[in-house]
Amino acid sequence: MIDVTIIVNGETRRASVPPETTLLALLRDHFGLTGAKVGCDVGDCGACTVIVDDRPVNACLMLAGQADRRRVLTIEGVATKDKLHPLQKAFEERGALQCGFCGPGIILSAKALLDQNPEPSRHEIRDALAGNLCRCTGYAKLVDAVSDAARAIRSEQLHD
Amino acid sequence: MRRLTYCCAGALHKHERKGSWLKPFAYIAATNADDAVVLLAEHGRSAKILAGGTDLLADLKFASDVPGVVIDISRAEDLRGIAVTEDGLRIGALVTHSELMDSPLIRNMFPALVDAAHSVGAVQTRNIGTLGGNLVTCVPSMDSGPTLVALDARVTVASRSGRRRFPLAELFLGPRKTSLGADELLLDIVIPTQNLGKPAGFQKFGLRKGQALALVNAAASFWIDRSTDRFVEPRIALGAVAPTVIRAPEAEAYLVGHSVTPEAMVEAGRIASTEAKPISDFRASTGYRRDLIAVLVKRALAGALALAQARQAEAVA
Amino acid sequence: MADEQRVLERERSAVDEAWRGLDENARLPAAAPPKTVPAEPLVPVPGQQIRAVGQRATRPDSRYHGLGQTRYIDDLALPGMLHAKIKRAGIASARIKRIDTSAAESMPGVMAVVIGREFPVNSFGPTFQDQPVLADEVVRHAGDGVAAVAAVTEQIATAALEKIVVDYEPLPAVFDPLDAMREDAPKVHPPKGNICHSLAIRRGDVAKGFAQSDHIFEGRFTSQMVEHVSIEPHAAIAAWDANGRLTVWATIGRITLARADLARTLRLPMNRIRLIGTIVGGNFGGKNEISQEPALALLSKKAGRPVKGVFTRGEEFIASTVRHPFIMDYKTGVTKDGRILARTARLVLDGGAYCSWSETTLGKCCVLAPGPYKIDNVRSEAIVVYTNKTVAGAMRGFGAPQVCFAYESHMDDIATALGIDPLAIRLRNAFEEGSPSPTGQVLQSVVVKETLLKAAERFGWEVRS
Repeated sequence: MIDVTIIVNGETRRASVPPETTLLALLRDHFGLTGAKVGCDVGDCGACTVIVDDRPVNACLMLAGQADRRRVLTIEGVATKDKLHPLQKAFEERGALQCGFCGPGIILSAKALLDQNPEPSRHEIRDALAGNLCRCTGYAKLVDAVSDAARAIRSEQLHD
Repeated sequence: MRRLTYCCAGALHKHERKGSWLKPFAYIAATNADDAVVLLAEHGRSAKILAGGTDLLADLKFASDVPGVVIDISRAEDLRGIAVTEDGLRIGALVTHSELMDSPLIRNMFPALVDAAHSVGAVQTRNIGTLGGNLVTCVPSMDSGPTLVALDARVTVASRSGRRRFPLAELFLGPRKTSLGADELLLDIVIPTQNLGKPAGFQKFGLRKGQALALVNAAASFWIDRSTDRFVEPRIALGAVAPTVIRAPEAEAYLVGHSVTPEAMVEAGRIASTEAKPISDFRASTGYRRDLIAVLVKRALAGALALAQARQAEAVA
Repeated sequence: MADEQRVLERERSAVDEAWRGLDENARLPAAAPPKTVPAEPLVPVPGQQIRAVGQRATRPDSRYHGLGQTRYIDDLALPGMLHAKIKRAGIASARIKRIDTSAAESMPGVMAVVIGREFPVNSFGPTFQDQPVLADEVVRHAGDGVAAVAAVTEQIATAALEKIVVDYEPLPAVFDPLDAMREDAPKVHPPKGNICHSLAIRRGDVAKGFAQSDHIFEGRFTSQMVEHVSIEPHAAIAAWDANGRLTVWATIGRITLARADLARTLRLPMNRIRLIGTIVGGNFGGKNEISQEPALALLSKKAGRPVKGVFTRGEEFIASTVRHPFIMDYKTGVTKDGRILARTARLVLDGGAYCSWSETTLGKCCVLAPGPYKIDNVRSEAIVVYTNKTVAGAMRGFGAPQVCFAYESHMDDIATALGIDPLAIRLRNAFEEGSPSPTGQVLQSVVVKETLLKAAERFGWEVRS
């Protein structure tokens, strides 16, 4: 067993797990954070996307040991208790979530993009979402929702 | 007869496991390169190196055997970093594709390396996948190899017996087969001093614009003799069209001393397409791949030329 | 009395204080209520849009999707739950000579193993019950399951599959549907031939129509196997209660059919089967029938614990259903100005190893094969053929996309040959209000031409280069 300490959604959490445990299994089975999904388990679909040290990664392709002492943000840490994140609000309003299974991964990839690039072009949005597959929406509304959210965040910041 | 063809995501794997759920192994985190080399010497063939993990973990999920030990080198700071040294431009083996894309040094000096890094997978895999890992996994369609080969890159490799340096092209022996010994670790990749600032271009064609394997990769570099406007030291490297990354020596020989013209670049592409033996598979036929080689080599050369011209314009301005 | 009152007050407020003290971060932004639509009854008038159409509405479950709070099956866990994996044959056609599960059964952490012959009735299917839950004597495609294991972790269950020894005697296999139709082809379901089902629709007299045509065009069109790739793999949980009632949580879209198949395979009365169709991460037709559910149920019964099974992505491709590949031969007779007088379509559907939804697909593709065009003389014939490949079942369109590709490509070929604008030839032939379908149904609310013209305007058809 190896011991890992990970700051998940701002909270320090510890686990003692077999070394071959992936970050995805750690989050889902040990920490009960089931927002990250098992879609393909080999880094092709992006349904397991989480943000590690500010960068989106496939949790299925990372061992728990690699995430030791790192900061991890999952979908459960995106909204606050009073407010949806502008991305969550935009996705809801645009009807960009149908079955919803790809949703957490896409929202996190989009969040990482907007944290770096507050005014992305549609091309940049598509590039940021290239590692997230969706079989329901045809992607157009996902890109629209990310644009909407970017605009909302920028105008929020103007008013601050 | 008309065929309707889409591209299906994924491919059936021959192994019984068909993905998911790694078998148990031991795990050790190495603190630096020397530490990793000692561990490798200790565990030899029963150990696998974990750098980014994007290739290793995916492979292990389909493997019927797993290594006894996984040596995690991802925290070895001395394997990171991009800097100009006395030998040239040194890129640490653990530099990720995202770091390559973001590095001001690389963006300025070798935009082709940014293009190559950008073409790897998607942002999630670029954030943890490493340059060293991509080279050592050594699949014929690797995206990072061709540009570095076209820039005469050399690699530094370490073992208990010391360090050795040799051309990157000699690292690749065959599909998934490198010239590394079981106890050897790739430390860094160095583009020699004389090639710093050499104009280079990279082109990749896959069935999708992201998350796609290359059908053909092409990289080209050359200097221009300003007084005569001719190609100097042209290099053309191709990926995904042979068991390893290869050069196109006949196309290069054609360009040496030739005037820098669009026609020359087209012809070089045509020659290069005859120098490779691409396979026919469900993704594309041999003929289609050959056509791609010709076009992509031409475009890679054109990209290098555009860069050279832009720099010259800047210099004059 | 006042004292009692005060104690009650204190007790009540103590409870309130305790609740208020709970970590407020445990609360999430509330689920959104659905937007309201007009409350008055809406009586549809033919040809008019009702006011609900065109209104914006947000999905209430979308809130929870975005929060990552939606519980799909793999997010559910019952106390003591085990994990199941299924061993796939990996060989397209073979007799199972011997299957030895003893090494797997004795592995630490393995709680139950089942094989095909343990099912009271080892067959199911939406039309013909020709598919085994787990292959017993014969394997008919590489994705056929031959054994199922339930263990305390997925890791152990996966490792246990490798310990199951199966001796196969390879049998001849057939992969091409046209080959499979020949007399001498290996039979997938002996003694029955490989033609699973066939259907024909006739209208008018095609011979006469061809005789009257100025030109006759023929073409062959093929479409390939497509997998749904819903991002959520097939998943289910089975659990029994002390009264011998089975509860199954499944991603299935057809509850009663699933209960019927479970009742049949487990020989259990339907009223002892509760099937909960959960929120699903994409179905697209691939989750319209049972797959692993009876195996999970039997594992659960043997182990005495709930059992969850989730397909790997690889299993999604080989062990779940796919879209039928089609081979389509079209023949069309037209006047010199491109009016269609007669059309025949001969369709061969590659059904894979079992029937699944092939019969339904047959019906749809036959009716839709001529296309949305006014044709007095029509014959469409379709045949589903067994092959030793992945089972073809339901997938969005059910035969429509394949024939659409064929008749539209065919129309373009005809237009090119006659030198007629592809849009014009379609407008000349398209259905109108009251046109009969190939089966004689009088069609209403037909807007084919209006749609084509509107699309042409939007796409700039007139100014294309």
